[in-house]
Amino acid sequence: MNNVFNIKNLDLFYDDFQALKNIDLDVEKNKVTALIGPSGCGKSTFIRCLNRMNDLIPSCKIEGNIQYHKEDIYDDNYDVIGLRTDVGMVFQSPNPFPMSIYDNVAYGPRCAGNKNKDKLDKIVENSLKKAALYDEVKDRMNDSAMGLSGGQQQRLCIARAIAMEPEVILMDEPTSALDPIATLKIEELINDLKENYTIVIVTHSMQQAARISDKTAFFLMGELIEVDETDKIFTQPSNQKTEDYITGRFG
Amino acid sequence: MSNKRKRIDLIYQGITYAAASVAVIVLSMIFIYVFTNGSGLLNFGLITTDYHAKFYNSGIQEVDQFSTAPRPDNLGEDTYYSEKWGIALADSEDREGKLVITVEYVSEDSPLKNLMYDKNSEDEKPIQLEEGDILGTIKFNDKGSALSIYGAKNMLDELDEEDTFREMVFYTKGGGIRGSIITTLYLIGLTMLLALPIGVFTAIYLNEFAPINRFTNILRSMIEVLTGVPSIIFGLMGLAVFVPLTVKYTPADSGNIISGAMTLAVILLPVIIRSTEESLKVVPDAFRQASLALGANETQTTFKVVLPSAIPGILTATLLAIGRVIGESAALIFAIGTAIKDDISIFGKSTSLAVHIWSLMTDEPANIELASTIAVIILIIVLALNLLVKLVSKKFTKKFD
Ligand SMILES: Nc1ncnc2c1ncn2[C@@H]1O[C@H](COP(=O)(O)OP(=O)(O)OP(=O)(O)O)[C@@H](O)[C@H]1O
Ligand SMILES: [Mg+2]
Repeated sequence: MNNVFNIKNLDLFYDDFQALKNIDLDVEKNKVTALIGPSGCGKSTFIRCLNRMNDLIPSCKIEGNIQYHKEDIYDDNYDVIGLRTDVGMVFQSPNPFPMSIYDNVAYGPRCAGNKNKDKLDKIVENSLKKAALYDEVKDRMNDSAMGLSGGQQQRLCIARAIAMEPEVILMDEPTSALDPIATLKIEELINDLKENYTIVIVTHSMQQAARISDKTAFFLMGELIEVDETDKIFTQPSNQKTEDYITGRFG
Repeated sequence: MSNKRKRIDLIYQGITYAAASVAVIVLSMIFIYVFTNGSGLLNFGLITTDYHAKFYNSGIQEVDQFSTAPRPDNLGEDTYYSEKWGIALADSEDREGKLVITVEYVSEDSPLKNLMYDKNSEDEKPIQLEEGDILGTIKFNDKGSALSIYGAKNMLDELDEEDTFREMVFYTKGGGIRGSIITTLYLIGLTMLLALPIGVFTAIYLNEFAPINRFTNILRSMIEVLTGVPSIIFGLMGLAVFVPLTVKYTPADSGNIISGAMTLAVILLPVIIRSTEESLKVVPDAFRQASLALGANETQTTFKVVLPSAIPGILTATLLAIGRVIGESAALIFAIGTAIKDDISIFGKSTSLAVHIWSLMTDEPANIELASTIAVIILIIVLALNLLVKLVSKKFTKKFD
C-alpha cells in the first residue's frame, strides 16, 4: 500500500472537550479521500491536524500519532513550514489575499524564497492553468483578487496552493459557499487534480463525495465509524450508523 | 395609557433636542467668536513673517539720480507720496495702539530701495526699505530729526527738502507666526519619527506575537492607563527627564524641540498602539490562516499580509496623532518653553502654534486678535486632517467588503 498519511490512535482535546476519539486512518497517495459526517463530528478538526493548523488554537491538545511519509509530524523537531509546503490547504470560504491575482499565486513561492521573476511567471501561469482559471484571468493578472467571483476566488485559492507544488491538498468544504455551477467546476477540477495530487476533502454533500472520491470516511461524534472504498460505503456499508446517515435516516 | 406613553415619549425627545441645541449653540458661539476676532489678521503674510520686529539703522550713499515714478493710483486718500524719493507713507496704529508711520509703497527706482546700507553691519551690507515696514526717525546732517510723532506728512516734507540724510531708523512689522509654524512642523516630524515605529511595532507584537500571559496583560493595562493621563503630567515628565537628557547629550541648554518631541511621542504612543491594534484586529483571521497554510512563517504573515491590510487604519491613527501634536499645549509649555522665536533650531526653545496662543494670551496686554487668528489656522488644519481621516477610513471599510 502506498500511504501518504498514517494516523494511529489520534485523540484531540479542546481543553477538556474531546473532539476526536482514537482515530485510525490511512490516506492513500493519488486518491481522493472524502470525510463525511454530521455537523460538529470533528471533520474540520481532523483535517486541520494533517497540516498542523490546529497549532493556532491554544486550547487544542493532541495525543496519538500522525505520520507523514513515516515521520511523526507532531515531533518537536518536525519542520512545520516544510509540512505546510507539502500539504496545502483550501478553506471553506474563499480567502484570497487583498492583493493582485498574480501576487496571490506568487505569495507562497515568494515566501519560500523564490525571487526569480521568470520562474515566478511560469509558476503563476502553470498553477492558474492547473486550477482551470488561467483563461478567465490572464488579461487581468494585476487586478485585485477581491474583484473575482466566489467560484473564481476559490479556484484562485486552489491555484495558490498548487503553486507550492504540494503532494497533498486538504480541502475543507471547498464548495459550500458556491453556487451549483461553480461547484461543478471545482468538482471537475478535483477530478483532474487527482492524477498528480493526493486530496483529502471534507464535504456535507453525499452526492459530492460519491461523485469525486475514491475512499470515504464517516465520522460521528468524534469517532471514525467506517472508512472504505466510496462505492462500498454508498452501496453496502458495513456499519448500521453509516447506512442510517447516508440514507438520511439520521438526525 | 397610550396617551401617557406619548407624553413621556415627547418629554424624552424634548430633552434630547434641547441638549443637542445647547451643544450646537455653544460650539457655534465659540467658532463665531474665534472667527470674528481672528479673521482680521488672517492673511498669507502672517505665516511667512517673523514674530519679533527687526530694527535697522541705515545710512544712504550719495544720490545722483532721484526717483521719477509717479504716484500709483491705488494708494489711499490718507497716504502721502514723495515723487523725489519714490515712497508713500501713511499714519496708522500698531498692535498696542501707538501712532506709527507705515511704508505703503516703495517705487522700483527709489534711492531707499537701491542705495541704503546697514550701519550696524560690519561690511555695510545693502538693505532696502520695504512695504509694510515702520518708519521711526530720520536724522539729517544739517537740521533737526524728523520724528514719527509728527506724522507721515511732516516726515515726507522734511525728507523732500533734503538730498541726503545721516540715518534712517526703521523696523519690520513683526507679529508673524513663521517660527511657530516651523516649530510645529519639526515637532510633527520628530514626534512621528519616534512614536510611529515604536507604536506600530509594539502593537504588532501585542496583537500578533505576544503570548497571553501576565506580562502582556500588565503591558496592556499600562497602555490603557496611559491614555487617560492628563498631558500636563507628561509635560512634567518631559521637564524632569527629557530636558536634562537632551541638555546632556545635545547642544541644547534648556527645553528644546527634541525634548518636546520626545514628550509628545510618549503621549501619543498609547494612542498609536491602541489604534494600530484595533486595525490589526479587524484583519480577518482567514488571511493569517491562508498565509500560514502556504508555508509562510509568522513574520512573513505579519509583514506581507496582515500589516498591509492594516495600513489604512495606521494612517488614520497617524493623522489623528498629528492633530494631537498640533493641538497639544500643556505638555509643551514644560517640555519646550514658551519663548516665541523666529530663528528655529531643534536644540533651542520655541513655541508650537498652540503654545504661541498661550504665550500671546499671557502677555500684558493679551493679544486676543493674533491668538484668535492662530486658533483659526489650527481649526482649519485640524478640520482638514479630520476630513482626510474620513476619506481614508472610507477607503478602508470598502476594502474588505
Ligand atoms: N477552537 C475550538 N475550541 C473549542 N472547541 C472547538 C473548536 N473548534 C471546534 N470545536 C468543537 O469540536 C467539535 C468538532 O468541530 P469541527 O469544527 O471539527 O466539526 P465539523 O465536523 O467540521 O463540523 P461542520 O460540519 O459543522 O464544519 C465541535 O463540537 C466543536 O464545537
Ligand atoms: Mg467543519
